[in-house]
Amino acid sequence: MLAPESKQLLLVLDAEVLCSALMCKAVDIPDLLDRASQRSDKLHSLSNMLALELESDLPAIGRVTMPRPAMCHTSSLLTPNDKEQALQVSESTLMSLARSLLKAWQYPVGVLSNSANLLPHQSKASISNKLQELQEHSRNLEDGLDVLSGKMGPTAQILSTLPYRGGSDLGQDKMSKLINFNFLLSCLRRDSHKIDSFLKVLRCRAANMQPNLC
Amino acid sequence: MMKNDGGVRVFWLLLLFLLYTRGKSFSVPGKPTLTRCRSPEKETFTCWWEPGSDGGLPTTYKLYYRKEGSEKEYQCTDYHTGGKNSCFFNKNDTSIWVNYNITVVATNALGQALSDPLNIDVYFIVEPNPPENLNVTIQNDKGWPFLRASWDPPTKADTRSGWITLIYELRIKLEEEDEWEIHHVGQQKVFNIFGLQSGGTYVIQIRCKPDHGFWSEWSDDVQVVVPNYFPNKRSAWVLLMVFSGMVFLILSWLLHLNSRNLKHCILPPVPGPKIKGFDQKLHKSGKSVDAFKSLEVPDFPHHTFSKSEDFLVEYIEVYVPEEQELMLEKSNNLHNGCLKSESSVSDCDSGRGSCDSHTLLLDKSGHQTNTQDSQTDEQKHGEALQGENLAYTHQDMVSPDMSAGRVKTWPSVFSPLPQNRSTVDQTSSIEIAKQHCLSDSLLPSDFLTPYHSPPGHCTREHLGSNYWEFDFGNKQPHLTQPQTEACHQIQAHSEININTGVKAEPAAHKFPTPRSNEYVEVQRINEEDSVVLRPVASNYDKLFEMQQGEDYSRVKGVDSDNVLLLLQKEAMEEEMNMCPCEQLTDTTGAHYTRFARSPEKPTACTHPTPQPLEERVVNGYVDTATMFTMPPY
Repeated sequence: MLAPESKQLLLVLDAEVLCSALMCKAVDIPDLLDRASQRSDKLHSLSNMLALELESDLPAIGRVTMPRPAMCHTSSLLTPNDKEQALQVSESTLMSLARSLLKAWQYPVGVLSNSANLLPHQSKASISNKLQELQEHSRNLEDGLDVLSGKMGPTAQILSTLPYRGGSDLGQDKMSKLINFNFLLSCLRRDSHKIDSFLKVLRCRAANMQPNLC
Repeated sequence: MMKNDGGVRVFWLLLLFLLYTRGKSFSVPGKPTLTRCRSPEKETFTCWWEPGSDGGLPTTYKLYYRKEGSEKEYQCTDYHTGGKNSCFFNKNDTSIWVNYNITVVATNALGQALSDPLNIDVYFIVEPNPPENLNVTIQNDKGWPFLRASWDPPTKADTRSGWITLIYELRIKLEEEDEWEIHHVGQQKVFNIFGLQSGGTYVIQIRCKPDHGFWSEWSDDVQVVVPNYFPNKRSAWVLLMVFSGMVFLILSWLLHLNSRNLKHCILPPVPGPKIKGFDQKLHKSGKSVDAFKSLEVPDFPHHTFSKSEDFLVEYIEVYVPEEQELMLEKSNNLHNGCLKSESSVSDCDSGRGSCDSHTLLLDKSGHQTNTQDSQTDEQKHGEALQGENLAYTHQDMVSPDMSAGRVKTWPSVFSPLPQNRSTVDQTSSIEIAKQHCLSDSLLPSDFLTPYHSPPGHCTREHLGSNYWEFDFGNKQPHLTQPQTEACHQIQAHSEININTGVKAEPAAHKFPTPRSNEYVEVQRINEEDSVVLRPVASNYDKLFEMQQGEDYSRVKGVDSDNVLLLLQKEAMEEEMNMCPCEQLTDTTGAHYTRFARSPEKPTACTHPTPQPLEERVVNGYVDTATMFTMPPY
């Protein structure tokens, strides 16, 4: 069963084919981007909440021993680091980057979701729920971006592989589980913000007819 | 020389320095603390710290930082833009999605102190400046004004490219109020406000927030005065009053229209007592006879009799002692009226004397007191009588629910039979009979009431309160073994009852109607529990010839018209009401008066049913009112 957004996007795709054949107006890419941005916004909100929730319970020793952010499995992907760089990057590249990041997190999010119940945390039920919701949003966004990228050229189709080498479990003992959970979530938090920012930049670039949006 | 001068200078400086700082302690500086870092537009950011103690010496602060993925240590270049104890990172030094590890070092002459490192990333420290150029104008919408607020994003925030996405929030209040009204605006930069107070002065503020960041400060106030668009406040009140007045008028009119119905609903009329066939108007007019005529049963048995002189309207009077009367009155609240009317009547001609005469059963005189005593007890128990295994059941004397015939007995005299009937003792059997009869007698409402007899019968005034009427039913099917027993016992009971509680009043009761005024009085109770009756003084001579000491009335039975057929003697066959249980009569010698039940005739006590009274005089007083219902005591 396809997600509603992907169904929507598929319809858009069909419509676009028809439209281009009939020389009618282009399909509403800005609208699609708007929807994609909204979903990525939600995705980041969830990951932000989760990361902050777990960080508060992490003991000081955990903070010290936590791996540096450079150790995130997606850190090898070169992304713009400031506004100038970001605005210079082409739309296709931005889309490709967003999609790559998203795809890189598909498996680790599953690992997080599965490990949530074993997490030694008092509110692990709510954490588990949020992770499941996050997973769903991620999948939907992925499908939507796949459709969108189809309209944006070949560069948008390039996907960088960013393998996750963390393993299926997050550690043997309780402390390592907590630390790894925190670390992964902090990485996800940042990457989801990247995705969201890229899509919003893309949205504003495509919304020439809607100045009120940007 | 020069060197000496330099050394002297240094010495003096040191001395001065020492003098200056005399009395103070010096130490290394305290640890500074990095408080927060903020980026207003995701392009630059500023960090602030809190210095520790300076240790009494001038302290310098320096900020060092490392970026993610590099071990190179950078130093802050701008300590002023952000204010005191701050470090400003300009665009060149700012990278997003890069982790910064920042440390502040405090240094004084004696040492230095390092702060705890702070790890930040620009993407989660975004706090924009407040929106700018807030402008509120008054617009008109068909005569109703509204406010339109418009603003600009903070200058540095680049929302145009989508690098930063801002959402806004507006708040408004009247100048004199304290509570703000907050409106969430979203990404747009224009907002309309409606529902304004005429002539009021409003204060509006705006603020913004990035999609994932902190709220900005509120912008400066903007005041606006709403013009008076509502012509007259008073007119609104006038309108309201007029409208409510109209509503009130309509409601009162509706209420008035339906007043009768409402009255019936709220205060329903109290139903008055009614008797079927009883014409109140006639009664009021004074023609009481006519009034009651409609209540007469058309084919009363006495009409079937050829000779009316065969009828003897005679009553067995039983004197009820005062205390018993009182008890009765109390126990039978429903029939208070009847009772009172009864008791108030003088019964000089009630024939009570016959009962009290010396011819009373002297053999049983000893039992009199006993029975009288027991009567009281029995009377008390009268109400608590349970249904016997007879066909007749009653709960108390008041209950009218007689399944079969009813025997009117004297509540005061009769008492409920004790459950134990095994006693063969005569006394107890009499008592049993007494009770039995009581049990049989369910004459709730028609007990002892003065009845409106057919013409010729005794009038009410002549009847004392001690009148008892036996209502003999003709319910042959109801005859059962117990019933015969009951009848037998009733007979005995009646004997006793007749004996007991009867005052010695020699006055003979003269009945106007009966041809042969033959009163029976109870002479004694014989061994077979038969009432030995004998004629009373007035007709005594006449009847006395006929029987000497063996006078008794024998109930032949009850005929179809519920008339008690009594036999004066075996020889004398008079038309009498027959007890249904006559078949068990011992024809040889058991003479007795048996009382059967009569069909139930429940009536109100106030209006005695004018059923034709079957009065028979056999040998004494026999209360043979069959159809007649008397109010119970």
